Amino acid sequence: MLKQLFLMLAAGIALTAATIASADSTPTDAIRGSVESILTLLQDKELDQTTRRGKIRKVINARFDFRAMSQRTLATNWKKASDEQQKEFVQLFSKLIENTYIGRVEAYTDEKVDYPGEKIKGKKAVVETLILTASADIPVNYKVYLKKDKWWVYDVIIEGISLISNYRSSYQEIVKKDGFDGLIVKMKAKIKELETQPA
Amino acid sequence: MKKSLMLAMALALPAFGVHAQATPTPADTTVYEDASAALILAAADETDSSDEKTFAAPDDFEDEDLLWLDDEDDVILDVYDPLETINRGTFWFNDKLYFYLLKPVAKGYRWIMPEPLMLGIGNFFSNLASPVRIINAGLQGKFTDAGNELTRFAVNTTIGIGGLFDTAKDHFNLKKKEEDTGQTLGYYGIGPGPYLVLPFFGPSNFRDGIGLLADSRMDLTYYLWEDRDYWAAIVLKAVNTVALDKDTYEGIKRDALDPYLFVRDAYVQYRQNKLDN
Repeated sequence: MLKQLFLMLAAGIALTAATIASADSTPTDAIRGSVESILTLLQDKELDQTTRRGKIRKVINARFDFRAMSQRTLATNWKKASDEQQKEFVQLFSKLIENTYIGRVEAYTDEKVDYPGEKIKGKKAVVETLILTASADIPVNYKVYLKKDKWWVYDVIIEGISLISNYRSSYQEIVKKDGFDGLIVKMKAKIKELETQPA
Repeated sequence: MKKSLMLAMALALPAFGVHAQATPTPADTTVYEDASAALILAAADETDSSDEKTFAAPDDFEDEDLLWLDDEDDVILDVYDPLETINRGTFWFNDKLYFYLLKPVAKGYRWIMPEPLMLGIGNFFSNLASPVRIINAGLQGKFTDAGNELTRFAVNTTIGIGGLFDTAKDHFNLKKKEEDTGQTLGYYGIGPGPYLVLPFFGPSNFRDGIGLLADSRMDLTYYLWEDRDYWAAIVLKAVNTVALDKDTYEGIKRDALDPYLFVRDAYVQYRQNKLDN
C-alpha cells in the first residue's frame, strides 16, 4: 500500500518535472502547447460556455504578457500615466484582449493549425502559425520573448496586422481627444457591455 | 484584391483582404520621435528607481526589461485621414448596409446553400480574377508569381472544372498570392493618398480606389456578363463571401473601442504588409 503510494508520487513528480522541463524548449513548442490546449477546450462539448471561457482565460494568462502589451500599446502615454493608472490600464486591457482573442478563436473551433516555422533572435522569437480553414489559410504569427525560461507572447500578428500596433494607433487617438481618463472610461464601458451581452 | 471585396468583405475584414495605406504627417512623426526619446528616458529612470518602486507591485515593475521588445520592423502607423468626418459617415452607411441588408441575405443564403457549393462559388470568382493577379505580378517584375498564377488559372479552369475547385492548391501545392493594381502603383512609388471609405466597397485610399477600378477591368467577370447580369454576379460574389466569413466584422464591432479606427488601422497595416511581400 505504502509502496504503491510512493510509486505513484514518484511517477507524479517525474511527470511534472518532465512537463516543466520540456514545456518551453522552443518557442514553437510553447505556442503549440497553448494553442492545442485552447483547441481541446473549444472542442470539449461537455463544457458550458462560462467554464470553457474561464479555462481558456487561464491558458491565455499563462502565455500572454499583458504588461508588456500594455506598455507597448500606450508607448509615450504609459510613461505619463501614474502607477495606479498603469495598473488599472493593464487590468482593463487584459480583459479586452482576452475577450477579443476568445471571441475570434471560438469562430475557428474545427480548424487545423499548422506550424510552418519560427525565427529566433536572441531572447526574442516569432512563431508562425497557419490556421487552415476551408476557404483560406490565415497566417497568425506570435511575437514572443524569453522571461525566466518561459516564452511570453507580446504581440499577435494576423495577416500582417499587428494587434498591438492597431491598438496603439487607436488608443493614441482616443487619448488625444479624451485624455487618459477618457480612455479608461471607454474601456470600462466596453467591458461592461461585453459582460452584459456576451457573444 | 479586386471586386471580390464588394460590399461586405470590404466593409470590414481587415483579416481577409482589402486595400489602402497611409502617409505620415509631419505632426505625427514628431510625436513618435518624442515617444522613443521618452521611452529611452523612461528606461533609464526605471533602472534607477526600481528599488523605490518595488513596494508597489514587486512582480510587475519590470519596465526596463521591455524596451528591447521594440522591433525594427514594428509598424508605426501614421494614418493620413483628412477626410475623417466624411469617412465616418460612409462607414456608418456601410455598417447599416451590412447589418440590415447584406448580413440577413447572407444568413438566408447560408441556410439554403451547402458549404461545398459556397466554396466552389468562391473559387469560381477567384479564378475569374486570375488575370488581375497575373498582370499585376508581372508588372511588378514578380515573374515566378505571375507564372504560378498562370499555371493555377490553367489547372483550375480545366481540371478544376471552370474554377469551381482549387485543384492547383489541393493537388499541386500552388497557392494563390494576391496581387492588385493598388500594389503595383505602390511598387512604383505612388503613395496611398488620403484614407478613404468607399460606399459599398469599404476601406480604401485614393491610390487603391483607382486600383480597384483597374482591377475590375482585368477581372473576367466584367467580360462574361453585362449590365444587370454583371451586377448580379458581383452581388452573388459579395453575399457568398459574407456567408463564408466567420463574423469578422461583428467581432470588431463588439470588441473595439472605436470600430472606425480599428478597421482603418487594420486596413493600413494589411496593405502595407501586402506591399512588402
